[in-house]
Amino acid sequence: MRLLVVEDQAKTGHYLRQGLSEAGFVTDLAEDGDTGLHLALAGEHDLLILDVMLPGRDGWQILQAVRAAGLETPVLFLTARDAVQDRVHGLELGADDYLVKPFAFAELLARVRTLLRRGSAPTQEPFLGLADLRLDLIRRRVERGGLRIELTAKEFALLELLLRRHGEVLPKSLIASLVWDMNFDSDTNLVEVAIRRLRAKVDDPHAHKLIHTVRGMGYVLEARAS
Amino acid sequence: MIHRLSLGSRLAVLFAACTALVSLTAGVLFSRASEQHFIELDQQWLSPRLTAIITRLANVQRPEDLAGYLPALRQDLGHPAELALRIQASDGTPWFDSRPDLPATPADAGLATLHADGIDYRSLAAPLRPVDAGSPRVALLLDITHHQHFLQHMQRLIWLTVGLSALATALLGAWAVRRGLRPLRQIGRIAAGVSAHSLTTRLPVAHMPEELARLAEAVNAMLERLENAFERLSGFSADIAHELRTPLSNLLTHTQVTLSRPRPLETYREALHGNLEELQWMAQLVNDLLYLAKSDHGLLLPQRQPLALHEELDALLEFYAPLAEERGVELRRVGRGDMAGDRHMLRRAFSNVLDNALRFTPAQGQIVVTVDSLDGLSRVRIANTGPAIPADRLPRVFDRFYRVDPARREGQQEHAGLGLAITRSIVQAHGGCIQAHCEAGWTTFVFEWPQA
Repeated sequence: MRLLVVEDQAKTGHYLRQGLSEAGFVTDLAEDGDTGLHLALAGEHDLLILDVMLPGRDGWQILQAVRAAGLETPVLFLTARDAVQDRVHGLELGADDYLVKPFAFAELLARVRTLLRRGSAPTQEPFLGLADLRLDLIRRRVERGGLRIELTAKEFALLELLLRRHGEVLPKSLIASLVWDMNFDSDTNLVEVAIRRLRAKVDDPHAHKLIHTVRGMGYVLEARAS
Repeated sequence: MIHRLSLGSRLAVLFAACTALVSLTAGVLFSRASEQHFIELDQQWLSPRLTAIITRLANVQRPEDLAGYLPALRQDLGHPAELALRIQASDGTPWFDSRPDLPATPADAGLATLHADGIDYRSLAAPLRPVDAGSPRVALLLDITHHQHFLQHMQRLIWLTVGLSALATALLGAWAVRRGLRPLRQIGRIAAGVSAHSLTTRLPVAHMPEELARLAEAVNAMLERLENAFERLSGFSADIAHELRTPLSNLLTHTQVTLSRPRPLETYREALHGNLEELQWMAQLVNDLLYLAKSDHGLLLPQRQPLALHEELDALLEFYAPLAEERGVELRRVGRGDMAGDRHMLRRAFSNVLDNALRFTPAQGQIVVTVDSLDGLSRVRIANTGPAIPADRLPRVFDRFYRVDPARREGQQEHAGLGLAITRSIVQAHGGCIQAHCEAGWTTFVFEWPQA
């Protein structure tokens, strides 16, 4: 997966590239609008991350030029301004997502992965599983090591999310948004408590833990070598 | 021009004009009446004399016949000497004229006023024989200069009165207006003295006349609002600085201490994690402030859609249930209601209040959410048991950075005292209002929206 970041603030651009590269993406960085557009039009990228305010050509102009060239590359906007008109303008021009600075890097990463996954059809298989954990999506049942685990509906949804995106660090705000449809910076204690209760049922009886906390970032479900 | 005049001068000029008009009208009426009175007086005086002469001359057919009557006529005219007699044939030929130097009398019978060489005369004429069309005309002329002098004198008096009374009214009016408008100048003086540092100034309403008292009250109310808003604003900036200073100073100290000597890798990681928490808190603060700034600029535009409030609140309660259970707090919803609103914004608004309620509800306490739509109002009440908020602090809980418990942010991941301010902004953006009450061990937040 190859990403293009167009960001004129050198520090921000550098940190973004480092973070995205370390997350496994090949990342190109352009520091002004014209270079950015030139790179974007080559059509080699799977996702564009554009700052709105850029020297030369702003993010919107790049987006327009890219769409005019017939490219359907997903675009995520970064902006320091959170005016409603800006958001509407960006979405009208065909932006796919919008993040307002300051944002958490984990949040950006999660959104990038969501956008990249968007094209592929969602998995329709009736079962999800990792290690000895098994989710029956049709009968809404969970088993681990052959033992039935009783979960509430929200706990089931939370586990399903972690399992579908296993290996990926999910920030608390994204979890709150996807599981409870709470699209605001709510008290993150709530997600912590929910994860703790899920862990008590899924992980506590077992020596091999699946749900892990990544401090300051979020939660990840993965089978780590003990 | 009149726009530039002061209110006092304008009123003085208007008073003077009114007085002048009134006294002028009175003067003119009086002058006319006097003139009329003199005319009647002259007629009454001339009429019997003319009749006497006509009677005396009843047998005169030709001018020659007059000769015998002349001594008697002259006797009649002698006193007073200002009286003159003129007898003319019907074609105007003079038969007799005691004063040929006087102006010609009009051909018609009756009273007339003549003027010559600065002297006025009143003439009364009548035919010698009324039935005979060709009869000679007899006219008596009276010098009325003394009447005219009197009238002219009176007119001068009238003009003088008009002028003097107008002047006097203007001066007195100006003085009265100045006196009367003194409270207005006082308002002006006090208003001019109001600055950011003296918003506590108030106008003395007690001594104001009724019309101005209302104005003064309005000005005082405005000053009150300004003072409150200004206080809040200056407190707000100070609070932002204060809120940011604490985490910034933590970050600075922590980073500098960590870098001051070589440390094991794990210590650096810990240091970064510590910093990350502070930074996340600051980012949250900035985002909340931006949200409030948007609301202040009227940019909080709810995308209204029909919502079942009970369903929205149930979703929130489900979100909060694990935490409430852990804290031993009972959480429930009763009632139903609908409104048109922005789902995400309203969820955020309710969430902040629930968050607040959960923080202040002791174990074994309850949080009860009541929803209803009645009398054109959609209402949500979020009530929790727990310590009461002092009555004087209740209205302030929605202020930015206001905390009922002044012990600030003891490592808690709460919003920096902006949660309820954000809630109020959202409620107001939906055209509603929110209030807090404390009663019988319950703290209740009441949301109300008029149904569209």
